[in-house]
Amino acid sequence: MKSNSLRTLLLLLLVLAGCSGGGSGSTGATAGTGATGISPATKTLVSITVTPVNPVIAVGTTVQFSALGTYSDNTTQDLTTTVTWGSTNTSVATVSNVAGSNGMATPAAAGSTDIVATLPVTEPAPGNISGSTTLTVTGGISKVNVLPLTVNGSLCSSGSYLNKPCVSVTVCTPGTSNCQVVSDILLDTGSYGLRIFRQALNVPLTQATVAGGALAECVQFGDGTSLWGPVQTAGVILGSEPIVKVPLQVIDSTFATRPSGCLNALTTPATPGAGFNGMLGVGLFRHDCGGLCASSVNNGFYSACNGSICSGTTVSLASQVQNPVALLPQDNNGVVLQLPGVPTGGVPSVDGTLVLGIGTQANNTPVAVTTFPTNAVGDFTTTFNGTSFSNSFIDSGSNGLFFTAPPILLPLCPAPNTGFYCPAVTTSLSATNTGAPVGSPSNQVSFQIGNLSALLSSGNNVFNEVGGSGIGGFDWGLPFFFGRNVFVGFEGRSSTLGTGPYWAY
Amino acid sequence: MKSSQIIAVCMVSVVLFASGAEAFLGGRTDSVSKDHQAFKAVQRSTTALNGYTVEEVVYEATSVREFVSPAGIVFAIAWNGYVHPELTQLLGSYWGEYSTLQQRALRKSGSRRQKLATDNIVVEKWGHMRNLHGRAYVPSLVPEGLSTDEIK
Repeated sequence: MKSNSLRTLLLLLLVLAGCSGGGSGSTGATAGTGATGISPATKTLVSITVTPVNPVIAVGTTVQFSALGTYSDNTTQDLTTTVTWGSTNTSVATVSNVAGSNGMATPAAAGSTDIVATLPVTEPAPGNISGSTTLTVTGGISKVNVLPLTVNGSLCSSGSYLNKPCVSVTVCTPGTSNCQVVSDILLDTGSYGLRIFRQALNVPLTQATVAGGALAECVQFGDGTSLWGPVQTAGVILGSEPIVKVPLQVIDSTFATRPSGCLNALTTPATPGAGFNGMLGVGLFRHDCGGLCASSVNNGFYSACNGSICSGTTVSLASQVQNPVALLPQDNNGVVLQLPGVPTGGVPSVDGTLVLGIGTQANNTPVAVTTFPTNAVGDFTTTFNGTSFSNSFIDSGSNGLFFTAPPILLPLCPAPNTGFYCPAVTTSLSATNTGAPVGSPSNQVSFQIGNLSALLSSGNNVFNEVGGSGIGGFDWGLPFFFGRNVFVGFEGRSSTLGTGPYWAY
Repeated sequence: MKSSQIIAVCMVSVVLFASGAEAFLGGRTDSVSKDHQAFKAVQRSTTALNGYTVEEVVYEATSVREFVSPAGIVFAIAWNGYVHPELTQLLGSYWGEYSTLQQRALRKSGSRRQKLATDNIVVEKWGHMRNLHGRAYVPSLVPEGLSTDEIK
């Protein structure tokens, strides 16, 4: 009686399994031709179950599938490494049969595909038993927030200066599909807002006005240069994000009359002018001037121009030139700069990515990084060679690491590379970064400084070991970004890393 | 510090952004013409240090510190803020020399600092948006034994 009921159960199982077909997520085993050959003494594979069942994942992520075999004696066994994995639509996702990664699926594009695990069997009859589940890949969501970034390379103009990070942005006449792509845009974590030379623009933008006339601004930089020109509104597209209306600066030294702070304003994109078509400031702050310019008139930033006459004016935050990333409907709490490591001696160019948002997508979720809050102007403390520099910052627009070092440690280069370090041999150093204003956390950063004159003789453009003399704080320029994911947390915006302004790496 | 001197320093500083000021770097603190217009936008303070005094003047967008020797001569200035101050007046008789240097200097793309120096005058700028810094000094006027690292 007992053995009879067991036999019945087995039969029932087989029939059920045979009837269940190949539906997604089912235990769709095919058991051959029937129960005639079955011996109760033989343990045979009845079905394969694939888990996780019907997962949904984004491009840029992966998912590990498992295969679980169920046998005629009701036992189960993990068959992940013994089955053959397949995808019914390899343009959506592929799945690995490589030892060590069996069952790992990698999406390629949005869509769905069945992930199938198959094992050949000889009992009760020769054939295959397989199980499957449906993998859904979401519509490129994780790619929407990515901008390619090249240091020198394809997005920079030819002949660019060394260690220059470039992106391209799409700029449109507001409210229209009249757009252009502008490349050779310097990606700059040391400034805030988008600025493009008039010479690089060929779509009309909308002039911003304030009570006193057309809005213009003068922006000064640490090297004593400046940019002057009108503030205009554009539709801006970053990556594949939705278009946003953004006030930007059209760099135009011929606009109206330059104020005294901009008498030396740069006139052209080409060297010996600026050396870029524009700059995308994605640093810690959302507005280039902020509260100061909303309340004060004679700050030297914004002007209202009537004809050729310009005079200082207040400008509301909403009308100031501002970081377009912070205006996105999503992915607006910061950015991540991702650049690969650069080998000693340099390379002609490297490719990386600018990922928009922090912790908003699978591709910008922080892993094992430390957050460094900054003071009100975006600085933290770097301690090097026994001296603490409280005005230290991270600046992708600086093409080297700039800091004060004694000549015996790092002698300066002869002309024409004055201001850069030229030690006889590449020198390994370290400094400690400390968050502000609370004095924590602290973290040691190792770096190398090579001989720039010797490096340049290689003909390469991108170097990890470029350094030069600093005057005040420690300026962590582009070499800091090589081999790191650097998170820039915008002021007043929160993520899993905290509330900005902060750096994290 | 006498109150008359403080007022003079105040006035000196105020005219940095206005026209008609007299020489500053290398000049006496009380040698500058008066300008009452922008007083309300200015705060000032004085700190006495080892053998010299620092007068700090805070403008709308920038703080300027003037380093005054015991003889009452301004031997250095340093600043930080949203903009660099106009150096036309601040550098006084050294402006011409600096201006010539500046016009000849090749732009170094990718740099966020600039140092221009002759035997007579050193002018340095650096920093990033919202936090620009700089300083200028006359090496021959810097009091003996004073490190230029203190000019900040």
